[in-house]
Amino acid sequence: MPGSIRPVSVVWVVLVCLLFCSRLLSVGAAPICTNAQAGCHALSLANLFDRVIQHSARMHGISNDLHSEFEQYFLPSKNQIGRVSRNCHTSTIFTPNGKENAQRMARQELTEVILKLLVAWRDPLWHFHQSIAHHHDFNNFSANKALEMSDMVHELRKGVEKVAEKMQMMGIISNSVSSLASPEALLPSDSAEWRLMKDYDLLYCFRRDSNKVQNYLKILKCRIVPEHGC
Amino acid sequence: MAVFSSSSSSSSSSSSSSSSTSNLLLLLLVSSLDWLSTRGSVFVMDHMTSSAPVGPHFTECISREQETFRCWWSPGGFHNLSSPGALRVFYLKKDSPNSEWKECPEYSHLKRECFFDVNHTSVWIPYCMQLRGQNNVTYLDEDYCFTVENIVRPDPPVSLNWTLLNISPSGLSYDVMVNWEPPPSADVGAGWMRIEYEIQYTERNTTNWEALEMQPHTQQTIYGLQIGKEYEVHIRCRMQAFVKFGEFSDSVFIQVTEIPSQDSNFPFKLALIFGVLGILILILLIGISQQPRLMMILLPPVPAPKIKGIDPELLKKGKLDELNFILSGGGMGGLSTYAPDFYQDEPWVEFIEVDAEDADAAEKEENQGSDTQRLLDPPQPVSHHMNTGCANAVSFPDDDSGRASCYDPDLHDQDTLMLMATLLPGQPEDGEDSFDVVERAPVIERSERPLVQTQTGGPQTWLNTDFYAQVSNVMPSGGVVLSPGQQLRFQESTSAAEDEAQKKGKGSEDSEEKTQKELQFQLLVVDPEGSGYTTESNARQISTPPSTPMPGSGYQTIHPQPVETKPAATAENNQSPYILPDSPQSQFFAPVADYTVVQEVDSQHSLLLNPPPRQSPPPCLPHHPTKALAAMPVGYVTPDLLGNLSP
Repeated sequence: MPGSIRPVSVVWVVLVCLLFCSRLLSVGAAPICTNAQAGCHALSLANLFDRVIQHSARMHGISNDLHSEFEQYFLPSKNQIGRVSRNCHTSTIFTPNGKENAQRMARQELTEVILKLLVAWRDPLWHFHQSIAHHHDFNNFSANKALEMSDMVHELRKGVEKVAEKMQMMGIISNSVSSLASPEALLPSDSAEWRLMKDYDLLYCFRRDSNKVQNYLKILKCRIVPEHGC
Repeated sequence: MAVFSSSSSSSSSSSSSSSSTSNLLLLLLVSSLDWLSTRGSVFVMDHMTSSAPVGPHFTECISREQETFRCWWSPGGFHNLSSPGALRVFYLKKDSPNSEWKECPEYSHLKRECFFDVNHTSVWIPYCMQLRGQNNVTYLDEDYCFTVENIVRPDPPVSLNWTLLNISPSGLSYDVMVNWEPPPSADVGAGWMRIEYEIQYTERNTTNWEALEMQPHTQQTIYGLQIGKEYEVHIRCRMQAFVKFGEFSDSVFIQVTEIPSQDSNFPFKLALIFGVLGILILILLIGISQQPRLMMILLPPVPAPKIKGIDPELLKKGKLDELNFILSGGGMGGLSTYAPDFYQDEPWVEFIEVDAEDADAAEKEENQGSDTQRLLDPPQPVSHHMNTGCANAVSFPDDDSGRASCYDPDLHDQDTLMLMATLLPGQPEDGEDSFDVVERAPVIERSERPLVQTQTGGPQTWLNTDFYAQVSNVMPSGGVVLSPGQQLRFQESTSAAEDEAQKKGKGSEDSEEKTQKELQFQLLVVDPEGSGYTTESNARQISTPPSTPMPGSGYQTIHPQPVETKPAATAENNQSPYILPDSPQSQFFAPVADYTVVQEVDSQHSLLLNPPPRQSPPPCLPHHPTKALAAMPVGYVTPDLLGNLSP
């Protein structure tokens, strides 16, 4: 009997080890958890997308509110669009302008577009917040919203990068997205033209771009992981 | 003629500002435009009112699904331009720095509409519209510019229906779950449009619409609708984070009528009726049938105090004489025959059985006849004793059964009944304890024992004061010292007591024995002077007719013995209100009653008992109003009788 117990226990231990090892392997070295402790667990892609989309929706809402508030200070005219002196600084980024165009675009390209947009707005929003905070015309509420907006762009960009990493890991998009490494390289050289824009124009442009980001993210999600919510 | 698009004929919920009379004209004109969404804002008109003549202008541009859009114009006040083709629509799409004005890709002159299809629609790109005449005259001061995402008004949701969720317990209100489908034109599935919905409802034929919170799901609950009322519900939607609503959908009507909820009330009434009937039947059964068994089952009798052999009637107020008579053994030869007859037919009356000894063995009985004796005796095999007295009940040959309730017939002849316990903190300090009788009792302790000590009463061994036995002391050996009522037995319990007893003049016992017949009670009277209690022997009284005018009275006043006889005693007594033993001369032939009545407590916290009126004035009771026990009832003195006692 003792003789037979030992091999049985060894086999049992081996089985247990296999189980654990397989579990560990299946989880994989999720890039999402690299900076966290070992106890973090990877989220599903759908979950990540949902979070990012929620974030972008909120960002768009804030930009909408700020834009409406601005319209109260500036002469409310239905034709404000015509008053935009310059085009938005992000108009150089090629973005799909329609549903079909967006759906036809490759996922990788679409992801790149989203990231480009988010990167392009990091600095301008920060300066916008600074100018708002020092302007005595606006109350603290607007200044807080502007700060929140600039933070959200930053967070959203990180979130989209994580989504892209996960997609790369899952093989949905190819790994040749070099833009993820250095998004700043995406911007054209004359990216400083945003400094010449007035605050109101900045707001208008950002409102538009945040809507674009929200739309693209939603299209991506419903294309890749069309579970609940599409 | 100004042509304004106003609320369409399909919807009546328009709360827009366009309620001018021109709307009526427009209604006729745009009756063919049923598919038009409700237009609340005629901003173009507002814009044009600033100038005097209203020129051609765009009324509105709308996109339904963010893929195409339409624009409508009106000639304004320039009627000469109302003919088709007089006005042309040009648009500028600012997607490149060098874009050009282009003409409308698709006209619909009948409706004065310009339709931009998918190929010509670009979102997020500013469009500017112009109205030009034949000679390229631009009629608008400003271009009408917009971006497509800002002019989206989604179609109304479809398939609106409702289901009943629940009805409140009161039956007055209910909740309804409304669900619908998103507009088919909006591509929600691809994520191209994110729509949020708003439900409004109102009572039918009223117009105070109540709007629920906007939310992006395709179902919502309406709470608190009232039963019986008819409600009208419709829904509209818009893009998230945008401001322009689409048209309202067609209304759906909700009504829930009263459900015959008799079900809930019905059982209640039935139950009530049945309950009342049942109670009535019960009452009838009880009242009419008067069956004793039934009565016993339904209305079990309340157990009354029962002493074996005694009619409970006597125990009630006011019949103490008879009670005492019975207890004293009078009547028909005692309770032995009385008791069984009385309770023969009441099986549920339980008596505590006591082992009864042979009546013949008088001595034995002396020792074991009473409960107190049994208590004092060491455990003896008494199984052989049968309780003849308590014939009715089952006999328990238990040693320690409570025997107080079983009356031993042999003890009739004794006339003593100690029914009242005397508080006898006896202090027979020097043992003269005239407790001659008591001596047997080990009760008599030395003065150092400040315990309640009883003086064993008369030597009547048969003085069966079985009903109550006052435990006056517990011997170290374990035996229990009882009150003087039981006297003689005690003597056997401890030898020490006997020693004491001897000191106390045993001789008197003999004399006392003779006097068993007579009724003797011992009362202890507190000596107001602090001499405490003194017991008075009734020896003299025994020999002579009781001087105390208390026929059959169980109480005997105990005169405080002459202090001179026991100066030491009195001195000692002064310190404590304990009973002082009598002087040896006063032979205690008569048994000392175990109980006495405490009349009052004096200032020194001494208990004042009832001294009987004596012929001989008490030795020292100057300021103690001796209370004569007039017509002192034998045995019990109930509180309400206290008042009868004349001081």
